[in-house]
Amino acid sequence: MSMTALLAAPDRVVPRTVTLRVFRWSPGERERSQTYEVAAGADSTVLDALVEIQRRQDPTLAFRYACRVGMCGSCAMVVNGRERWACRTRLVTLGDAVDVRPLYHFPLLRDLVVDMAPFVARMQAVGAALVPAPGAPGYAQVPGDGAERRGIDPAIECIGCGMCVSACTMVAHNPRFPGPAALNRAFTLQLDPRDAGRDDRWRALTSDDALWRCHGQGNCTAVCPMGLAPTTSIARLRRMATRRLFGLA
Amino acid sequence: MTTGTEPPKVLRREWASVEGWRDTKAGMWAWLVQRVAAILLLVVIALHLMNPFVRPVQAVLLALALLHALLGVRALLLDVGVPLRWSTPMFAGAIVVAVALFALVWTWRWY
Repeated sequence: MSMTALLAAPDRVVPRTVTLRVFRWSPGERERSQTYEVAAGADSTVLDALVEIQRRQDPTLAFRYACRVGMCGSCAMVVNGRERWACRTRLVTLGDAVDVRPLYHFPLLRDLVVDMAPFVARMQAVGAALVPAPGAPGYAQVPGDGAERRGIDPAIECIGCGMCVSACTMVAHNPRFPGPAALNRAFTLQLDPRDAGRDDRWRALTSDDALWRCHGQGNCTAVCPMGLAPTTSIARLRRMATRRLFGLA
Repeated sequence: MTTGTEPPKVLRREWASVEGWRDTKAGMWAWLVQRVAAILLLVVIALHLMNPFVRPVQAVLLALALLHALLGVRALLLDVGVPLRWSTPMFAGAIVVAVALFALVWTWRWY
Protein backbone atom coordinates (compact mmCIF):
# COMPACT_ATOMS: atom_id res chain seq x y z
CA MET A 1 0.00 0.00 0.00
CA SER A 2 1.39 3.41 -0.95
CA MET A 3 1.95 6.05 1.70
CA THR A 4 -0.81 8.19 0.15
CA ALA A 5 -3.28 5.32 0.33
CA LEU A 6 -2.21 4.50 3.88
CA LEU A 7 -2.82 8.04 5.07
CA ALA A 8 -6.11 8.19 3.19
CA ALA A 9 -7.40 4.95 4.77
CA PRO A 10 -10.63 5.84 6.59
CA ASP A 11 -9.61 4.37 9.93
CA ARG A 12 -6.45 6.47 9.87
CA VAL A 13 -8.32 9.69 9.23
CA VAL A 14 -11.64 9.35 11.03
CA PRO A 15 -11.26 8.38 14.66
CA ARG A 16 -13.97 6.14 16.03
CA THR A 17 -15.59 6.66 19.39
CA VAL A 18 -14.77 4.11 22.05
CA THR A 19 -16.60 3.89 25.34
CA LEU A 20 -14.39 3.11 28.32
CA ARG A 21 -16.01 1.84 31.51
CA VAL A 22 -13.38 2.51 34.13
CA PHE A 23 -13.31 1.15 37.68
CA ARG A 24 -13.25 3.99 40.20
CA TRP A 25 -12.61 3.74 43.91
CA SER A 26 -10.95 5.79 46.61
CA PRO A 27 -10.44 4.85 50.28
CA GLY A 28 -13.63 5.37 52.22
CA GLU A 29 -15.80 5.45 49.11
CA ARG A 30 -17.95 2.86 47.36
CA GLU A 31 -16.56 1.39 44.18
CA ARG A 32 -18.27 2.43 40.97
CA SER A 33 -17.86 2.27 37.23
CA GLN A 34 -17.47 5.52 35.32
CA THR A 35 -18.01 5.81 31.59
CA TYR A 36 -15.96 7.99 29.27
CA GLU A 37 -16.04 8.40 25.51
CA VAL A 38 -12.77 8.77 23.67
CA ALA A 39 -11.93 9.33 20.02
CA ALA A 40 -9.57 6.53 19.06
CA GLY A 41 -7.34 6.30 16.01
CA ALA A 42 -6.20 3.06 14.45
CA ASP A 43 -3.19 2.73 16.71
CA SER A 44 -4.56 4.29 19.88
CA THR A 45 -3.90 2.20 22.95
CA VAL A 46 -5.80 1.82 26.20
CA LEU A 47 -3.10 3.91 27.86
CA ASP A 48 -3.55 6.66 25.24
CA ALA A 49 -7.25 6.71 26.06
CA LEU A 50 -6.64 6.88 29.82
CA VAL A 51 -4.16 9.73 29.40
CA GLU A 52 -6.66 11.53 27.16
CA ILE A 53 -9.37 11.13 29.80
CA GLN A 54 -7.10 12.35 32.57
CA ARG A 55 -5.94 15.39 30.58
CA ARG A 56 -9.22 16.52 29.05
CA GLN A 57 -12.15 14.94 30.90
CA ASP A 58 -11.33 13.88 34.44
CA PRO A 59 -8.04 14.83 36.11
CA THR A 60 -9.00 12.82 39.20
CA LEU A 61 -8.62 9.48 37.41
CA ALA A 62 -5.63 7.63 38.88
CA PHE A 63 -3.56 5.07 37.01
CA ARG A 64 0.10 4.16 36.80
CA TYR A 65 2.48 4.15 33.86
CA ALA A 66 6.09 4.94 33.12
CA CYS A 67 7.81 3.86 29.92
CA ARG A 68 4.76 3.80 27.58
CA VAL A 69 6.54 1.39 25.25
CA GLY A 70 6.00 -2.05 26.75
CA MET A 71 9.12 -2.37 28.82
CA CYS A 72 8.36 -1.58 32.45
CA GLY A 73 4.99 -3.29 33.00
CA SER A 74 3.75 -0.58 35.35
CA CYS A 75 0.56 0.00 33.31
CA ALA A 76 -0.65 -3.57 33.89
CA MET A 77 -4.43 -3.70 34.37
CA VAL A 78 -7.42 -5.87 33.55
CA VAL A 79 -8.92 -4.90 30.21
CA ASN A 80 -12.07 -6.68 29.06
CA GLY A 81 -11.54 -9.38 31.66
CA ARG A 82 -7.93 -10.14 30.80
CA GLU A 83 -4.65 -8.91 32.27
CA ARG A 84 -2.83 -6.73 29.75
CA TRP A 85 -0.39 -3.85 29.65
CA ALA A 86 -2.36 -0.78 28.69
CA CYS A 87 0.43 0.73 26.59
CA ARG A 88 0.56 -2.26 24.22
CA THR A 89 -3.16 -2.93 23.94
CA ARG A 90 -4.69 -1.26 20.91
CA LEU A 91 -8.29 -0.17 21.25
CA VAL A 92 -9.06 -1.45 17.76
CA THR A 93 -8.65 -5.01 19.05
CA LEU A 94 -11.20 -4.56 21.83
CA GLY A 95 -14.47 -3.44 20.26
CA ASP A 96 -16.45 -0.28 20.94
CA ALA A 97 -16.92 -0.86 24.69
CA VAL A 98 -13.87 -1.43 26.85
CA ASP A 99 -13.91 -2.35 30.54
CA VAL A 100 -10.84 -1.27 32.48
CA ARG A 101 -10.22 -2.55 35.99
CA PRO A 102 -7.19 -2.73 38.31
CA LEU A 103 -5.21 -5.94 38.77
CA TYR A 104 -6.82 -8.56 40.99
CA HIS A 105 -5.33 -9.87 44.24
CA PHE A 106 -3.42 -6.68 45.07
CA PRO A 107 -4.47 -4.09 47.67
CA LEU A 108 -6.15 -1.20 45.92
CA LEU A 109 -4.69 2.24 46.45
CA ARG A 110 -7.04 4.19 44.22
CA ASP A 111 -8.90 3.68 40.92
CA LEU A 112 -6.58 1.58 38.73
CA VAL A 113 -3.55 1.83 41.01
CA VAL A 114 -2.64 -1.14 43.19
CA ASP A 115 -0.05 -1.64 45.91
CA MET A 116 2.73 -3.88 44.57
CA ALA A 117 4.27 -4.49 48.01
CA PRO A 118 2.72 -7.99 48.30
CA PHE A 119 4.44 -8.91 45.03
CA VAL A 120 7.81 -8.22 46.67
CA ALA A 121 6.73 -9.98 49.86
CA ARG A 122 5.86 -13.12 47.88
CA MET A 123 9.30 -13.00 46.27
CA GLN A 124 10.94 -12.70 49.69
CA ALA A 125 8.86 -15.58 51.04
CA VAL A 126 10.54 -18.04 48.67
CA GLY A 127 14.00 -16.48 48.98
CA ALA A 128 13.94 -15.12 45.47
CA ALA A 129 17.28 -13.36 45.73
CA LEU A 130 20.67 -14.75 44.83
CA VAL A 131 22.72 -15.93 47.80
CA PRO A 132 26.29 -15.79 46.49
CA ALA A 133 28.17 -19.01 47.03
CA PRO A 134 31.72 -18.61 48.35
CA GLY A 135 34.08 -18.62 45.40
CA ALA A 136 31.28 -18.80 42.82
CA PRO A 137 32.17 -17.64 39.31
CA GLY A 138 31.10 -14.16 38.28
CA TYR A 139 28.22 -13.57 35.94
CA ALA A 140 30.39 -13.36 32.84
CA GLN A 141 31.94 -16.72 33.68
CA VAL A 142 28.67 -18.65 33.47
CA PRO A 143 28.83 -20.00 29.92
CA GLY A 144 26.06 -18.76 27.65
CA ASP A 145 25.63 -22.19 26.09
CA GLY A 146 25.85 -24.13 29.35
CA ALA A 147 23.13 -26.49 30.57
CA GLU A 148 22.23 -24.12 33.41
CA ARG A 149 21.74 -21.21 31.05
CA ARG A 150 19.62 -23.26 28.64
CA GLY A 151 17.40 -24.19 31.56
CA ILE A 152 17.20 -20.71 33.01
CA ASP A 153 16.99 -18.57 29.88
CA PRO A 154 13.30 -19.23 29.08
CA ALA A 155 12.37 -18.11 32.60
CA ILE A 156 14.26 -14.84 32.98
CA GLU A 157 13.20 -11.40 31.76
CA CYS A 158 10.32 -11.10 34.27
CA ILE A 159 9.50 -7.39 34.51
CA GLY A 160 7.49 -7.71 37.72
CA CYS A 161 4.25 -6.38 36.25
CA GLY A 162 2.08 -8.61 38.47
CA MET A 163 -0.25 -9.79 35.71
CA CYS A 164 0.44 -13.45 36.48
CA VAL A 165 -0.44 -12.92 40.14
CA SER A 166 -3.67 -11.25 39.10
CA ALA A 167 -4.57 -14.12 36.77
CA CYS A 168 -3.70 -16.92 39.23
CA THR A 169 -6.73 -18.57 40.81
CA MET A 170 -4.66 -20.13 43.59
CA VAL A 171 -3.44 -16.71 44.72
CA ALA A 172 -7.10 -15.76 44.97
CA HIS A 173 -7.84 -18.51 47.47
CA ASN A 174 -4.59 -18.92 49.36
CA PRO A 175 -2.80 -15.75 50.48
CA ARG A 176 0.23 -17.84 51.50
CA PHE A 177 0.73 -19.19 47.98
CA PRO A 178 3.81 -17.42 46.55
CA GLY A 179 2.29 -17.01 43.11
CA PRO A 180 3.68 -17.58 39.62
CA ALA A 181 6.30 -14.82 39.47
CA ALA A 182 7.96 -15.77 42.75
CA LEU A 183 8.00 -19.48 41.88
CA ASN A 184 9.36 -18.70 38.43
CA ARG A 185 12.13 -16.61 39.99
CA ALA A 186 12.88 -19.35 42.51
CA PHE A 187 13.21 -21.82 39.64
CA THR A 188 15.92 -19.74 37.99
CA LEU A 189 17.84 -19.57 41.26
CA GLN A 190 17.54 -23.30 41.98
CA LEU A 191 19.35 -23.90 38.69
CA ASP A 192 21.95 -21.19 39.26
CA PRO A 193 25.34 -22.72 40.11
CA ARG A 194 26.45 -19.50 41.81
CA ASP A 195 23.66 -19.65 44.39
CA ALA A 196 24.12 -20.99 47.92
CA GLY A 197 20.56 -20.60 49.15
CA ARG A 198 19.01 -23.70 47.60
CA ASP A 199 18.40 -25.71 50.77
CA ASP A 200 16.59 -22.85 52.50
CA ARG A 201 14.64 -22.18 49.31
CA TRP A 202 13.62 -25.84 48.99
CA ARG A 203 12.22 -25.67 52.52
CA ALA A 204 10.04 -22.75 51.49
CA LEU A 205 9.11 -24.24 48.12
CA THR A 206 8.09 -27.63 49.46
CA SER A 207 6.05 -26.26 52.35
CA ASP A 208 2.30 -26.87 52.44
CA ASP A 209 1.32 -23.66 50.67
CA ALA A 210 3.87 -23.37 47.89
CA LEU A 211 4.93 -25.53 44.98
CA TRP A 212 2.40 -28.32 45.30
CA ARG A 213 -0.61 -26.01 45.44
CA CYS A 214 -0.37 -24.87 41.82
CA HIS A 215 -3.28 -26.26 39.79
CA GLY A 216 -1.44 -26.00 36.49
CA GLN A 217 -4.23 -24.05 34.83
CA GLY A 218 -1.72 -21.94 32.91
CA ASN A 219 -3.51 -18.62 33.43
CA CYS A 220 -0.21 -16.99 34.39
CA THR A 221 1.45 -18.18 31.22
CA ALA A 222 -1.48 -17.06 29.07
CA VAL A 223 -1.25 -13.45 30.28
CA CYS A 224 2.52 -12.99 30.69
CA PRO A 225 3.42 -10.06 28.41
CA MET A 226 7.02 -11.27 28.16
CA GLY A 227 6.01 -14.72 26.95
CA LEU A 228 7.37 -16.46 30.02
CA ALA A 229 5.83 -19.72 31.21
CA PRO A 230 5.69 -19.80 35.01
CA THR A 231 3.54 -22.95 34.76
CA THR A 232 6.44 -24.71 33.07
CA SER A 233 8.90 -23.41 35.67
CA ILE A 234 6.65 -24.70 38.44
CA ALA A 235 6.35 -28.11 36.76
CA ARG A 236 10.13 -28.27 36.43
CA LEU A 237 10.57 -27.28 40.08
CA ARG A 238 8.19 -30.08 41.05
CA ARG A 239 10.18 -32.61 39.08
CA MET A 240 13.40 -31.33 40.66
CA ALA A 241 11.82 -31.55 44.12
CA THR A 242 10.62 -35.09 43.43
CA ARG A 243 14.07 -36.20 42.30
CA ARG A 244 15.52 -34.57 45.42
CA LEU A 245 12.96 -36.39 47.58
CA PHE A 246 14.12 -39.73 46.22
CA GLY A 247 17.80 -38.80 46.49
CA LEU A 248 18.26 -38.60 42.73
CA ALA A 249 19.47 -34.97 42.68
CA MET B 1 -13.99 8.66 55.75
CA THR B 2 -11.51 5.89 56.32
CA THR B 3 -10.47 5.12 59.87
CA GLY B 4 -7.05 3.88 58.90
CA THR B 5 -7.74 0.49 60.46
CA GLU B 6 -9.83 -0.99 57.66
CA PRO B 7 -8.43 -4.03 55.85
CA PRO B 8 -7.08 -3.20 52.40
CA LYS B 9 -9.56 -3.52 49.57
CA VAL B 10 -8.54 -6.36 47.27
CA LEU B 11 -10.47 -7.20 44.11
CA ARG B 12 -11.08 -10.84 43.20
CA ARG B 13 -12.85 -12.56 40.35
CA GLU B 14 -16.23 -13.28 41.89
CA TRP B 15 -17.59 -16.64 40.74
CA ALA B 16 -21.17 -15.33 40.87
CA SER B 17 -20.48 -12.44 38.49
CA VAL B 18 -20.21 -12.30 34.71
CA GLU B 19 -16.95 -10.36 35.04
CA GLY B 20 -15.51 -13.18 37.12
CA TRP B 21 -15.95 -15.69 34.30
CA ARG B 22 -14.91 -13.38 31.53
CA ASP B 23 -11.84 -14.61 29.66
CA THR B 24 -11.78 -17.93 31.52
CA LYS B 25 -8.98 -19.83 29.84
CA ALA B 26 -8.87 -23.39 28.52
CA GLY B 27 -6.56 -24.57 31.30
CA MET B 28 -9.01 -23.48 33.93
CA TRP B 29 -11.94 -25.13 32.14
CA ALA B 30 -9.91 -28.36 32.01
CA TRP B 31 -9.20 -28.17 35.74
CA LEU B 32 -12.80 -27.29 36.55
CA VAL B 33 -14.36 -30.02 34.40
CA GLN B 34 -12.12 -32.66 35.97
CA ARG B 35 -13.00 -31.56 39.51
CA VAL B 36 -16.71 -31.38 38.80
CA ALA B 37 -16.51 -34.83 37.22
CA ALA B 38 -14.79 -36.11 40.39
CA ILE B 39 -17.56 -34.83 42.63
CA LEU B 40 -20.30 -36.15 40.35
CA LEU B 41 -18.54 -39.52 40.23
CA LEU B 42 -18.98 -39.90 43.98
CA VAL B 43 -22.72 -39.42 43.62
CA VAL B 44 -23.08 -41.64 40.55
CA ILE B 45 -20.94 -44.44 42.00
CA ALA B 46 -23.22 -44.46 45.06
CA LEU B 47 -26.27 -44.69 42.80
CA HIS B 48 -24.62 -47.43 40.77
CA LEU B 49 -23.86 -49.48 43.87
CA MET B 50 -27.49 -49.25 44.98
CA ASN B 51 -28.69 -50.69 41.66
CA PRO B 52 -26.05 -51.56 39.05
CA PHE B 53 -28.62 -52.34 36.33
CA VAL B 54 -29.98 -48.86 35.67
CA ARG B 55 -28.90 -47.97 32.14
CA PRO B 56 -28.82 -44.15 32.49
CA VAL B 57 -26.68 -44.42 35.63
CA GLN B 58 -24.33 -46.79 33.81
CA ALA B 59 -24.03 -44.30 30.96
CA VAL B 60 -23.33 -41.33 33.20
CA LEU B 61 -20.82 -43.34 35.23
CA LEU B 62 -18.96 -44.35 32.09
CA ALA B 63 -18.96 -40.80 30.72
CA LEU B 64 -17.75 -39.24 33.95
CA ALA B 65 -15.06 -41.89 34.51
CA LEU B 66 -13.71 -41.40 30.99
CA LEU B 67 -13.74 -37.63 31.31
CA HIS B 68 -12.09 -37.60 34.71
CA ALA B 69 -9.45 -40.18 33.79
CA LEU B 70 -8.48 -38.65 30.45
CA LEU B 71 -8.21 -35.15 31.91
CA GLY B 72 -6.07 -36.70 34.63
CA VAL B 73 -3.79 -38.19 31.98
CA ARG B 74 -3.53 -34.73 30.43
CA ALA B 75 -2.52 -33.21 33.77
CA LEU B 76 -0.02 -36.03 34.30
CA LEU B 77 1.56 -35.47 30.90
CA LEU B 78 1.98 -31.76 31.65
CA ASP B 79 3.55 -32.68 35.01
CA VAL B 80 6.12 -34.96 33.43
CA GLY B 81 7.25 -32.37 30.93
CA VAL B 82 5.01 -32.26 27.87
CA PRO B 83 5.35 -28.64 26.68
CA LEU B 84 2.65 -26.29 27.89
CA ARG B 85 1.75 -25.33 24.31
CA TRP B 86 0.06 -28.75 24.12
CA SER B 87 -2.15 -27.92 27.08
CA THR B 88 -5.18 -26.76 25.09
CA PRO B 89 -4.86 -29.35 22.29
CA MET B 90 -4.62 -32.08 24.94
CA PHE B 91 -7.75 -30.71 26.61
CA ALA B 92 -9.61 -30.89 23.32
CA GLY B 93 -8.09 -34.30 22.65
CA ALA B 94 -9.22 -35.64 26.03
CA ILE B 95 -12.80 -34.55 25.31
CA VAL B 96 -12.75 -36.07 21.83
CA VAL B 97 -11.25 -39.36 23.03
CA ALA B 98 -13.75 -39.51 25.91
CA VAL B 99 -16.67 -39.07 23.51
CA ALA B 100 -15.23 -41.61 21.07
CA LEU B 101 -14.57 -44.22 23.77
CA PHE B 102 -18.01 -43.67 25.25
CA ALA B 103 -19.66 -44.16 21.86
CA LEU B 104 -17.54 -47.24 21.21
CA VAL B 105 -18.18 -48.92 24.54
CA TRP B 106 -21.86 -47.99 24.68
CA THR B 107 -22.51 -49.19 21.15
CA TRP B 108 -20.67 -52.48 21.48
CA ARG B 109 -21.49 -53.38 25.06
CA TRP B 110 -22.17 -57.06 25.49
CA TYR B 111 -24.58 -56.98 28.43
